[in-house]
Formats: sequence, structure tokens, C-alpha cells
Amino acid sequence: MNGVHAIAAERFADRVEAECLTALPLGAYARAEEVRYLFLAASGPYALAHPREAEAPLRAVSGTFPLFSWDEREMAQEWGVRFDALPDARPLRGTAGEMPPAIVAQGAGLMRFVVGPVHAGINEPGRFTFSSGGETIVHLDAQLSYAHRGVERHVEGLGALQAAPLVARICGSCSAARSFAYARALEQLAGIELAREVELARLVLAEFERIYNHLGDLAASAAGAGWGPGFASGMALKERAIRLCRLAGGHRLLFDAIVPGGVGAQTLRERPRIARELADLARDIEAYLTRLFAQSSTVARWQRAGVVSRESAHAFGAVGPAHRASRGEIDVRTFAPYGAYREFAVRIAHASGGDSFGRLRVKRDEIRESLRLIGAALAEIGDAALPDPQPMAVPAGDATAVVEGPRGSEVVALHTGGDGILTRLHVISASYRNWPLVARAMDGNIVPDFPLVNKSFNLCYACADR
Amino acid sequence: MKRETFRKSLGVRHVACGSCNGCEHEMNALSNAFYDITQDGYDIVASPRHADIVTVTGPMTPAMRAAARETLDAVPRPRIVVAIGDCAAGEGPWSGAPSAGPGAGIELQATITVRGCPPTPEEIRAALKSLPLSS
Repeated sequence: MNGVHAIAAERFADRVEAECLTALPLGAYARAEEVRYLFLAASGPYALAHPREAEAPLRAVSGTFPLFSWDEREMAQEWGVRFDALPDARPLRGTAGEMPPAIVAQGAGLMRFVVGPVHAGINEPGRFTFSSGGETIVHLDAQLSYAHRGVERHVEGLGALQAAPLVARICGSCSAARSFAYARALEQLAGIELAREVELARLVLAEFERIYNHLGDLAASAAGAGWGPGFASGMALKERAIRLCRLAGGHRLLFDAIVPGGVGAQTLRERPRIARELADLARDIEAYLTRLFAQSSTVARWQRAGVVSRESAHAFGAVGPAHRASRGEIDVRTFAPYGAYREFAVRIAHASGGDSFGRLRVKRDEIRESLRLIGAALAEIGDAALPDPQPMAVPAGDATAVVEGPRGSEVVALHTGGDGILTRLHVISASYRNWPLVARAMDGNIVPDFPLVNKSFNLCYACADR
Repeated sequence: MKRETFRKSLGVRHVACGSCNGCEHEMNALSNAFYDITQDGYDIVASPRHADIVTVTGPMTPAMRAAARETLDAVPRPRIVVAIGDCAAGEGPWSGAPSAGPGAGIELQATITVRGCPPTPEEIRAALKSLPLSS
């Protein structure tokens, strides 16, 4: 199934729920004319849509699949979509500096405490309201939106090509993945195909982003379990990976490395040096991964911490390593392959325990696979020149693209009017998808495990808040 | 007579005010083995009570305004506010966005500003070392 399918209001929620059982639900968004619930099938993304002119209230799907809770709250708050039976009817975001009240557990012997929005380390802002009985967490309400800048409204009215540097700066941690999805959506709309070398170069950049993110997550998780050397070594390796990003893509965090129509001018210029430093880094990463996972006291803290069952992962729509650590099968790179991923058999990492250990094992194995993929792609590119970005005319229309970022599916849905002007941009980040699950992963865990469980996901705030 | 206000040991407290996390990646890099600013006498501290320097990032969102102000108010004087990145300088990619403020460094009256999107760890470290630390 591809494209956009209009469904009548009275059958809409039933159809969405049925679709959740057969395809990967990505999320939902509204614009003035309609609401769209997005799914991914092997053939690509598609939408179930409901036109808004009737303005009959829709039954909230989040009553059945909590994965849509944030999407439906956001649609209600920002776009005035009316829902029947919204289980959590609070606004998603704070208004005028005031956050909606947190949900807390009530009962004898329970206490509650609030962490954030300012955190002890150098972190993004979020408010975590814990209800606990002694050490045991009974409920956690994670409230974000402190980094909400209004990016989607801000780019409305800009030329779709001119907005690309802004899209790259929605979130610093998954910039390449988002630029990749944004570029693919525009290229699909314009009907252009890229040279094979360019697709291979994009794969290299996207995998470098995965490596530096996962290294940082492993390091932070070592710190969360109290092992300083694992943190220090991991952060040094992350720095080396980031320097390789600079060398391979012209920017330490790969901003503007992937652009509509191709890749940035700085991409893969010094290939012999990249290959040499990559080989050195790969050797040291392997030594680190071996040492880290042999550190039994650290690994013991990760095991059985923050367990997400396969059922919870499905109900909450977990994506990326969080999905694959709970026996999930889907990685967009193989489920709905795009670009150069069509020509490589990516070995997908899995774990079955659904705990922090499982998520970190998936990330460990993904680092290894990313290193292999980069090596293979660089070998394929060889000395071939990378052409300048392909010029394109963006017609009026709409397109959705999905790529596998470090944290899972990164979705960009865009609508354009005449002259290639953006009339609506919606971003569904893997972090937005996974955040509600972090809170549920803490149920029944002890308070001191929150940092390491949180870091085993290590989600972004900026792309969730937008 | 000039007196050294800060002596070779400075606590740095960071407050993200709606940044994209890019500046935070580079602030965190200051503690890695390549930059290790503890060797220059800087320490990233968890409490504003322990801070001499407050680094701020982001355009300043309405949601962060009160929390940022309270954090700053909890820092003992003398203190120095340092704006990190183009957003904090009020000239970042989200300047003018519906929920973007004037820049965290503008609003919190930063003493110095480190430009960049994001600035590199070298640039941040050089700026910290250039701070006027005498009164």
C-alpha cells in the first residue's frame, strides 16, 4: 500500500488500529485540511487520512495504542483537532512558560520528587516527576517541550530548498538522519534519482552519525553504572568518531553534510586519510567494546534494568535499538531499504531481554556493523568524483520519507505549494516515538537506576520538542 | 590594587535554554581526554551553588525562562555568564521562530559570547580562558 487513503470519520480509528497490526505505525500529524496517521510498509510510507471539514470528533487511537498519545495531544493542542475519549487530555506542551500538571501516583507511603528541567550534567531540559515507594519507582511522568522553538511553523512559507539548513539544525544529535529524510522527501517529490556514488556517500555519513551516537551512549551508560574508565575511554572514542565526521562530511556533527540533491561539497575529500583513521578507530573501538562488555560489575547493573516487554514495545511503538532489544524485527534499512542500503545486506542487531543490557548490546553490534558498512561503501566509491548536488524544481505536492537514524525511524512529512514553498513540515523523531516508553520502562525499577536506563535509550529532546 | 577574583579553580554550570543539543555535545567534549579542561582549572559542576561561570545555550524558550533565571539566581556572586553558540547570541537558525526568545545570552546578559553552530571545543575552551577573571 502506498500513498494517501482517505477514510470516513466513523471508521477511522478502527482502520488505524487494524493497520497497527500489519504495518509499522510511525505517528500522526494534522494540518488545516486533514489529519494523517502514517505507517511504514516494505514498499514505503503511506498514510490514512481524514479530511477535517466535517469536524466530527475522532475517536482517540491512543486509548488502544498509547503510541499515538503524544501525537494526538499535540494535534489537539496545536491544531485544534477534536478527539473523543483521549486517555490523557493534558496539553503536550507547556504554554506561556507553564507546564501542565504532572501525573503522580497517590497512596500511603508514596513520595514524589521532581528532577529538572535543569539537570546536573550538560543535558537538554526536561522535567521528570517520580512517584516512589522508598527506592522503588511507582510512576514516572516525563514532560518535555522545554526546547520547543516552533520549528515547524517557522519554516512554513520558506522555499523547501532554502529550509534545508534549518532542518539540519532541528536537533544536533540526529542531524544527518533528518537531513537524509528531508532530502529524500524532496527528491521523491521532484522525481530525481541520485548517482550511485552519492547514495554510497550518504550511507557513509549516516553510519558515522550512528557510530558517534552509540559510542556516547555506551560511555554514558558505563558512567551510569559507575565505571569511570569505561566513560573516559568511550568519550575519547566518541571524540575521534566526531573528528572523522568532520573529515568525512565537513562538520563535526554532520550539519549540512547531506543536502537536497546530494551531499555537501566537503564530503569524502581526503579518502586515504579517512580510510587510515577509520581503520585505527575500528581497532580501538573493538578493544573498547570487548573490555566494556567484559566488565561484569557494569554489565550486571545493566541487566534486568528498565525492562520493556515485547508487548509494551509494540503498544508504545518503540523504534530503533529500543524496538530491536525487545525482540522487534524492524530496521528501516532492511525493512524498507532506501538509497545505498538497497545494495548492502545490513546485518540487523537484535536482543531479546528488553533491558538496558539488551539495548546497549544492540548498539554495540550496530557500531560494528556501521564500521563494516562504511568500509564496504568507501571501497565501492573508490576514487570516483562526487558530483555537485543535483538542481531540482520542487513541485506543489506532498511527500513522506523515513530513514533509520541512530535512535530509530526518522520521519519527515512535508507539503509544498507553488514555487516549492513549504506549507507544512512535520518531523516525527525516533526520540518522540520512544520517550513515553522510557517512563514506562522505569516502573518497578529503583531510583538510582534511572540514569543508566535513561542513557541506554539516550533520546534527544530537541527533535521531540521541535 | 587588583585582586584575583577567581583563583585557578572555576566551577562551570551549564543551562540549556532550547538549544538543539549541538552545543551540549561540544560542551561535553571539553571533559574528554582530548580537551580535558580540568587541566586548565575548570570543573563542570552539578550545582549552581558551586559555579563561578554559567554557560547558556539556545534561543531561550518561554518554557525555560523561569528555570534559567532561578538557576542563575542560585549562583553566588561574583559570577560570569557565557553565551555558547549562535542561538544564544540571538542570531541562530531559530531566531524569530514562534517560541524562540532573543537568545539565552542576550536575555541573561552574557559577559562574552562564543559564536558558532556549534562552536568547536577549541573555541569554547579558548573563550573560557580569555575571561576577565580579575576585578
